[in-house]
Amino acid sequence: MGGACSRKSDQRDNEEILHRGVSRKYCKSGSSKWLATSFSRPAIDIQLGRGNCPPLMDLCIRKICEDIDRYNTFSTLPRDISQQIFNELVYSQRLTDVSLKAFRDCAIQDLYLGEYPGVNDSWMDVISSQGPSLLSVDLSGSEVTDTGLLHLKDCTNLLALNFDYCDQISDRGLELISGLSDLTSLSFRRNNAITAKGMNAFTNLVNLVKLDLERCPEIHGGLINLKGLSKLESLNLKCCNCITDDDMKPLSGLTNLKALQISCSKVTNVGITFLKGLPKLSLLNLEGCRVTAACLDSLSALAALLYLNLNRCKLPDDGCENLSRFRNLKVLNLGFNDITDACLVHLKGLTNLESLNLDSCRIGDEGLVNLTGLRHLKCLELSDTEVGSSGLRHLSGLANLESLNLSFTAVDDGGLRKLSGLSSLKSLNLDVRQISDAGLAALTSLTGLTHLDLFGARITDGGTNHLRNFKNLRSLEICGGGLTDTGVKNIKNLSYLRLLNLSQNSNLTDKTLELISGLTELVSLNVSNSRITSVGLRHLKTLKNMKSLTLEGCKVTANDIKRLQSTDLPNLVSFRPE
Amino acid sequence: MKKEDMVKLISAEGFEFVIDKDAAMVSQTIYNMLTSPGSFAETQHGEVTFPEISTTILEKICKYFYWHLQFASGKETEFPIEPELTLELMMAANYLHT
Repeated sequence: MGGACSRKSDQRDNEEILHRGVSRKYCKSGSSKWLATSFSRPAIDIQLGRGNCPPLMDLCIRKICEDIDRYNTFSTLPRDISQQIFNELVYSQRLTDVSLKAFRDCAIQDLYLGEYPGVNDSWMDVISSQGPSLLSVDLSGSEVTDTGLLHLKDCTNLLALNFDYCDQISDRGLELISGLSDLTSLSFRRNNAITAKGMNAFTNLVNLVKLDLERCPEIHGGLINLKGLSKLESLNLKCCNCITDDDMKPLSGLTNLKALQISCSKVTNVGITFLKGLPKLSLLNLEGCRVTAACLDSLSALAALLYLNLNRCKLPDDGCENLSRFRNLKVLNLGFNDITDACLVHLKGLTNLESLNLDSCRIGDEGLVNLTGLRHLKCLELSDTEVGSSGLRHLSGLANLESLNLSFTAVDDGGLRKLSGLSSLKSLNLDVRQISDAGLAALTSLTGLTHLDLFGARITDGGTNHLRNFKNLRSLEICGGGLTDTGVKNIKNLSYLRLLNLSQNSNLTDKTLELISGLTELVSLNVSNSRITSVGLRHLKTLKNMKSLTLEGCKVTANDIKRLQSTDLPNLVSFRPE
Repeated sequence: MKKEDMVKLISAEGFEFVIDKDAAMVSQTIYNMLTSPGSFAETQHGEVTFPEISTTILEKICKYFYWHLQFASGKETEFPIEPELTLELMMAANYLHT
C-alpha cells in the first residue's frame, strides 16, 4: 500500500500460518505492531456503535483504565480480573511504569508487553512479583537487559518467554533463565549477542517445544546444545547466515521436530542429509540456501513433509524431476528459481498441492497445462512470469482457487474471461499495465472477491462501473492514474472496504474524500499524489476505524492530519506526510 | 405487571430490589438460577439473595440491567460509573456474568 508500489505487500508469512501445530501466540511484526494488533481487535467505542451492548465488566475495566492513577493496587482482586485490566491498559497504551506498580503481587498469568513503549529493567520487579503464577511473558522490543532477567528466576512455572529484538540481552541472560526448566517456548529473534557459549543454557530446558532464534548471527556451533531437547517440535533459524552444515548434525536426532526453518543460511546438500531421519518433519524452509536440486533426493525420504520452501535456491530444471516424488506436499514454493516449463512437468502428479508459488520463474503458457490436474490448488502465484493470456485457459478448471497473482505477467484483457468461472476466487492480483476497463468487464461474475489489486492497470471511470459487482471487497487498489472523482462514485458503496488505495490518480480532488466518507470500515486509505487538500480532510471524520492514512504529494501537511487525528480519528497510528 | 414477571434481588444488608425478570436475566448467573430445571429455591420464590453484594452495588447493578435493555433496543447512551464503585462493581459483575 505504499505510495509508489504496492506489490507483494500482502505476502504472508506462510511458514508460520501453515504450520498450525505449533502455537503462534507471539505474532507481533515489529514497527507496525499497533497497526497489526488493532486490525484484529476493533476499538471498544466502535463496538458501541454497532449495537453490541458492552458487558458491565467491560465498562468497569474501561473506567478503571481511564482513571488508572486512582488505583494503588489490584492485588485484592481475583487474578483473572487483574489480568483483564492489565490487558486493556496495554491495548489502550495507558500502562506506564507508574501504573504498573498497582499490579504487584497480582498473581497474573500472562504479561504481553511485546513492542510496548518504555519497557525496561525497572519493570521487571513487578513482573516477577507474579511469582509462580506467571506462565508467559512477552517483552519483545523492550530495553530489558541481562540484569532484568535475574528477576525471573523465581517465576518457576514460566512456560513461554519472548525476548525478540531485545538487543541488550546476551549469553549471561541465557544463563540466568537456564533454571526455568518448564519452559516450552522461547524466542530471541534478532539477537547479536547470543553465542554458542551462552546456548549451553538450553541443555537444561528439556521441555522446550518451540525455539525461535531467527536473525541471530552468532549462534554457529551452539545447536549442539539442543541435542537432548527431545520434545522440540519447532526450530526457527531463519536468516541466521552463520548456520552451516555442521550445525545440522546435532538436529539429526530430534525425532519430534515438525518444523525447521533455515532460510538464508549456509546449509548445503551435505547439511540436508542430516535431516533424513526426522520422521515428523512436515515443514521445511530452505529459502535462499545453497542447496542444489540434488538435495531433493535426501528430502524425498521425509514422508511427513507437507510444506517445502525452496524459494531463491537458484534451482535449474536439471534434477527437478525428483519433485515428482513429493506426492504428499500441500505447499510448494519454487519462486525465484531458474526453472522453466520443463520443470512443471514434474509437478503434474502433486495432486495434493494447495499452494504453489512460481513467482519470477521462467515459465510460460505452455507449462501451465501441467497444473490442470491440481484440483486442490487454492493459491497460485504467477507474478513476474512469462505467462500470458493463452495460458489462462489451463487455470479455468481450478475450481478451488481462492488466490491468484498475475501481477507483472503478459496477461491482457482478452485472457481474463478464462477466469470468469473461478467462483471460489477471493483474491486476485492484476497489477498489470495492459489490463484495462474491458478486462474488468470480463470478471464481473467473480462476486466473491474480497481483494482486488489493480495497482498498475489502466482503469478509468468507465471501468469502475464493474466494481459494483464486487460487493464483498475488503481491499481495492487502483493506481493507474485514470480515475477521477466520477469513478469514485462507484466505489463509495463498497461498504466492506477496509483498505483502499487510489494513489497516483492525479485528478482526484477533495470530492473523492467526500464520496468515500461513508466507508466507515476503512482502516487504511491512500490517496497520494492527487489534488486532495487540507480542506477535504474534514470528510474523513466519519472514518473512526482509520489506522493508516497516506496523503503524500497532496496539499496536506503532517499538522493537518495530526489535528484530524486528535479531534476525530483516535485510532490513527500511521500517517504520511509525517 | 404480574407478580411472576418480577423478581426480588436482596442485598447483603437485606435491602430488596423488585425488578423485571427480563432485566434481571441480563445476568447470566441470575438467568441460570431462574431457568434451570430442578428445585432452586430462587426459581420457586422469585427471590435471590446476594450476601456478598452491598446495597449500593446491587442498586447500580439493577440500573445496569435496565440500561442494557435500553441499549439493546437501540437507545445507545453512556452508562455512568462512579470511580469509587468500580472495583466492587467489577467483582459483582464478574460473579453475575454481566
